[in-house]
Amino acid sequence: MTANGIAPSRLARQAASIGLALIVPALVVAAWAAVPFFVKVPAYKLPTVMEIGEQFWVLTSSGKLGWELLVSGSRFIVGLLLGTALALPLGLAIALNRHVSDVVRPALVFFQAIAGIAWVPMAIIWFGFGQGPVIFVIANTVFFSTIYNVVRGVESIPAVLRNAVRSMGGTGIGYFRELILPGALVQIIVGLRTSMAFGLRALVGAEMIAGTSGLGFMTIDASQSYGTDTVIVGMLVIAVVWYVLDRAVFIPLERKTVVRWGLQRFQ
Amino acid sequence: MSWSAQTKMLKGASGIAAILLLWQLSVYVVDVPPHFYPSPAAVWRAFIEMTEKGILPSYIADSMLRYLLGVLIGTAIGCALALLIASSKLAMRMLGPMIDFLYYMVELAWIPLFVIWFGFGLPTILVAVVYVVIWPVLFNSLSGIRSIQPSLILAARSLGGSRWQVLREVVLPGMLPQAVNGFRVAAGFAFRALIFGELIGAQSGIGYLIFESTTHLQTDRTVLGMICMGLLWLFIDRNYLRPFEKATIDRWGMVVSHDS
Repeated sequence: MTANGIAPSRLARQAASIGLALIVPALVVAAWAAVPFFVKVPAYKLPTVMEIGEQFWVLTSSGKLGWELLVSGSRFIVGLLLGTALALPLGLAIALNRHVSDVVRPALVFFQAIAGIAWVPMAIIWFGFGQGPVIFVIANTVFFSTIYNVVRGVESIPAVLRNAVRSMGGTGIGYFRELILPGALVQIIVGLRTSMAFGLRALVGAEMIAGTSGLGFMTIDASQSYGTDTVIVGMLVIAVVWYVLDRAVFIPLERKTVVRWGLQRFQ
Repeated sequence: MSWSAQTKMLKGASGIAAILLLWQLSVYVVDVPPHFYPSPAAVWRAFIEMTEKGILPSYIADSMLRYLLGVLIGTAIGCALALLIASSKLAMRMLGPMIDFLYYMVELAWIPLFVIWFGFGLPTILVAVVYVVIWPVLFNSLSGIRSIQPSLILAARSLGGSRWQVLREVVLPGMLPQAVNGFRVAAGFAFRALIFGELIGAQSGIGYLIFESTTHLQTDRTVLGMICMGLLWLFIDRNYLRPFEKATIDRWGMVVSHDS
C-alpha cells in the first residue's frame, strides 16, 4: 500500500510545486497586459505579450534569429577556445613555479581587474567594427578567468599528495600527468562554468558596442528604432540559451567529473 | 615587513616594471600610428593634462558617486526582498524558480531596454547598477536563510521568541555570511555594469572616458581610462570590500569560502 501511495503523492507534490512556481510569472504577464489600461504608456515602451510572441515568430520564421544565434554562438566558441588555450600554459607556469608566480601575479591582478568590456574601444581601433573585437574581448575575459581557475586547481592539491608522489620518485611528465592534471581538473571544469558566464557577458556587451551582427547587436540595433519587442525577444533568447546550457551541460558535467575523480566540491 | 614578503613585493614590482618597459620599447620597434598603439609616456602625459584640467578627478568622482549609490540601493532592495520572501514558505516556493530564472538573465541584455525606458544618462546607469546588485545579494541571502537549521528556529520559538525576535536573532545572523558573500560578488558585477553603462549612455565618468576618447582617436586617454578603472577597482576591493568582509565574518564567527 505504501509503495503505491508514495509515487502519486510525490507526483502531486511536484505538480503543486510547478503550479506554485507558475503563479507568479502568470501574475507578471497579467500585470504587464493590464498596465496600458491604467497608465498611459506609449506602445513602443511596453509592447504586449502578443506582440512579442508575434515578433518571435517573425524573427524565427525569417531565419534571422537562428542566424544571429549561430553567429553569436560561433564567436563565443572561438573566443572561449582561444582564451582557454592561452590561459592553460600560463596558469600552470604560475601554479608550478614560485618565481613565475611572484613576478607575474601583481600584474595579473591588475589585468584581471580590467578584463572584459573595457577593452572593447581599443579592440575596435585594432580590429575595426565586426567580429574581431568581439572575439578578442571574449578571449580576453575567458583568459583571465581561466588562469585563476588553473592556479586555484593546482593549489588545491593537498601537499601530502605532492610529497607522496615526489617521494616515490614521481618527476617531470609523470608528476604532471598523474598528480597535477587530475588534481586540478575538477576545479578547471567547475571554473569553466564561471568563465563561460563571464564570456557570455563579454559577448553580449561587445556585440552591442562593436558588433555588426549577433544577438547583442540585434537588441541594441532594435532599441535605436524603438523595436522594443525585438529587444525583449533577444533578452529572453539569451537567457533561455544560457539556462539550457547550464542545466543540460554544466551541472551534469560537473556532477560527473566531481564524482568520477572522487573529489568533493568545497563551497 | 619580513624578508620574504619584501622580495616578493620586489619581484612583483619588477614584473610590472618589465611590462611598462617592454611596452615603451615596443612602441619604438613597431611602426604604427601613435593612436593605434599609444606609449606609456603618452598615457602619462594624458594623465598629467587631464588632471591639471580637473577632468579626470571629476570623472572619477562621478563614477564613484554612481557606483556607491547603485550598490547601496541594490543591496538594500536585495536584502529586503530576501527577508520578505523568506518569511513565508509559500512565497519561497512561488518566487524561487522565477528568481532562479532571472539569475540566468544576462544583465547587460537589459541595457537596450533600460535605454528605451529611461533614456541615455544617469537613470539608465543607476538602474543597471542597482539591477546587477539585487540578484547576487538576493540569491545568496536566500541560500543563507535556507541553510539555517530549522531546529534553531524552532528552538528560538519554543523559548518564547516572537516572530521579530527569531528574525533578528536567528535568521539575520544566519543569512549574513552568505549575504556578505553575495555583496562581494555584486560589488564586482556592479563595477562592470557601471563601466558598461557609462560606455553606452553617459556624458562623464571613467567608462565614458574609455569610450569617448577612441572616437577622437585619443587612445592615450582610452588607456589612461582603463588603467584608472583597474586601479580604482583594486582600491575599492582592497580598502573597503575585503576589510568589510573580514570584519563582518569575524564578528559573526563564521567561515565562508574565499574567492581570489
